[in-house]
Amino acid sequence: MTAVHPRALEYVDSELDGVIPDESELTAGTRIEPGKSYGFFTDTTLCIGCKACEVACKEWNALPADDMRLTGMSYDNTGGLGANTWRHVAFIEQISRNGERATEMTPFQSNWLMMSDVCKHCGNAPCLEACPTGAIFRTEFDTVVVQQDICNGCGYCVPACPFSVVEVSLIDGKAHKCTLCYDRMKGGLEPACAKACPTDSIQFGELSDLQERAERRVDQLHGQGAASAYLYGAPGGPGATGGLERLHAFFLLTDEPEVYNLPEAPSRPANRVAPSLASGLATIAGLGLAAAALLAFAGRDER
Amino acid sequence: MEAIDGRAPFIMIADGRGSLFVPSGLKDAPLPTHYEPVESPVRNPFYAQQDNPVAKKWEREGNPYHEVGDPRFPHVLTTYRLTEHHAGATPTRSVPHTAELQPEGFAEIPPELADQLGIETLDWVVLATARGEIETKALVTERLRPLEIDGRRIYQVGMPWHFGWIGYATGDIANVLTSVVGDPNTSMHENKALTCSLRAGRLPRPRRSAA
Repeated sequence: MTAVHPRALEYVDSELDGVIPDESELTAGTRIEPGKSYGFFTDTTLCIGCKACEVACKEWNALPADDMRLTGMSYDNTGGLGANTWRHVAFIEQISRNGERATEMTPFQSNWLMMSDVCKHCGNAPCLEACPTGAIFRTEFDTVVVQQDICNGCGYCVPACPFSVVEVSLIDGKAHKCTLCYDRMKGGLEPACAKACPTDSIQFGELSDLQERAERRVDQLHGQGAASAYLYGAPGGPGATGGLERLHAFFLLTDEPEVYNLPEAPSRPANRVAPSLASGLATIAGLGLAAAALLAFAGRDER
Repeated sequence: MEAIDGRAPFIMIADGRGSLFVPSGLKDAPLPTHYEPVESPVRNPFYAQQDNPVAKKWEREGNPYHEVGDPRFPHVLTTYRLTEHHAGATPTRSVPHTAELQPEGFAEIPPELADQLGIETLDWVVLATARGEIETKALVTERLRPLEIDGRRIYQVGMPWHFGWIGYATGDIANVLTSVVGDPNTSMHENKALTCSLRAGRLPRPRRSAA
């Protein structure tokens, strides 16, 4: 007979097998099933800058605290995404208007823009395309995950990422980034950051649902007079350019992408392979022709 | 004793209910008015009574108060908590995952004042009151708006108070600067509105003995 804690006997009638099955249905209103596409919709107009997502992420994924110092960048002491930081809340102070000192509060966090950044889980993921070992793969939930037991630490994925998300860890020499809580999703749980977010600035769900929800939110904000609201990373929109197709983690922003340290028009590095190969071949051909011409010239001189 | 109904949350009061007007016991109120804080750079522009006549004061050594408009302490000092730290931050400064979010003490300074004093973000600054002085790092921000009062421009300096020198997140302690003045009813200290001086630089510290 296996040893059972006496308290466990009080719950013999329970049908729960350790965790609530499909808990995500209760917390995010979506059931997690293999074969469907999942992602994050991060609505920056709802972010209050509490950084609960950062802490929840580090706690669940057992990531170490690092670089413990004041950055001087407003209340952001995280700095950016990296091997040990998979959620990063940016604090962007835009208090002055046209060089004038503002005397009254402006909409949206009095123009203290806050945004919780994360791996975008691109539709066409450049990190995955660059990975020579197959360590980076697309999961059954249409997300992009690095397997550290296969990763050889070559670091090709690092410059391939248009958003500077993935990083090679100084601790184990392997590439690390957000997994969209692959392990939690396997157990029917929504990702830790989305569950921890107190204002639903981070929403987890099926990508098509999220995109509809996001479009409704943009319409609502436009109706309220916030004409600057738009989606970054929705199919066909800014952020989903250069063959990336769509970002599985997409954002509602109220200013230019660069203000949030996001590229205006990201693209797949693979798009540049054919042109650079062609120009390389053209260079070799040109040099060959020049060498042949020189040899012919030299040969004539000797005669 | 029976538990108080959940709809009556004022647990320190017998019937569990808060009141706008009470029959007895109040030392101040019920009608609202404007008093300047005990330490203020300006005369009360509203009427002659400068500050609360029934405020609790402890005038003794170590707790001197600044005169109104004392030129040695021209700036307004306010203290507050940060979202990232809980209460006095003893629990959150000792836990790496929360300590790294706000890892060091700092003072927030408006850009105009920082320009005047030659202070840039992350420079060391010294904040001083008649009670004591501390050093901390500067965070220059437009979030602190200058005040235009009576034709004068007055700057506010803000400082989170919940740092200390134990734990991962550390910094000098704002309570060195604050005065002890009590609200008449609750004795809550007036630590949101004080006056102070500010300068660039560091404090001389006793050199640590070689270990």
